[in-house]
Amino acid sequence: MTPEGLYEVLSKYAASQGIELNRDKEYVMGIMRGLLKNQERYGYRSCPCRLASGIKEKDADIICPCVYKDPDIKEYGSCYCGLYVSRQWNEGKIKHIRVPERRPKEKQA
Amino acid sequence: MEKRKRIRLYALSTCPRCKQVKQFLEKHNIEYEDIEVDLLDSGEQWVTSKELKKYNPDATYPTLIVEEVILDFDEESLKEALGIK
Repeated sequence: MTPEGLYEVLSKYAASQGIELNRDKEYVMGIMRGLLKNQERYGYRSCPCRLASGIKEKDADIICPCVYKDPDIKEYGSCYCGLYVSRQWNEGKIKHIRVPERRPKEKQA
Repeated sequence: MEKRKRIRLYALSTCPRCKQVKQFLEKHNIEYEDIEVDLLDSGEQWVTSKELKKYNPDATYPTLIVEEVILDFDEESLKEALGIK
């Protein structure tokens, strides 16, 4: 799959969830390339902003969309990586801050 | 008095924010050590993650470490580096 193809798929997924992709397309395309690189080397699209172990069971919570996406969007308007965001975040109605890591330390690679 | 800076970036090759930090450093001609942790072998990755956690217990990426190395005794420079007024 190409980064553009993945972008189309994930845009549709975001719309189905009532959220959006970050409107900074250049930044988002960097995430698409990262996801595809992880797909290629690990066999699954783990979050490109986190260090994966390469073991699917251990990384299950950070396979994009990660399990922390919904609480992060609810609290900060954006997921940890800045890929999935709320409309309010995209419209600048929510302050853009660094989303703190919600993943428990013991799960980190 | 001699002062040196040691700059290290702990990054992931896949992380766009890491790329933004690299572009910033390069734009300002700052020399830095670029450690792409995901590209290290598993042993090196373990050691490097332990090292990173000393500075940033959350081990998030990017983490930029700017260390100032101060040689000799120069009160003014020490005050400046340590934020003593």
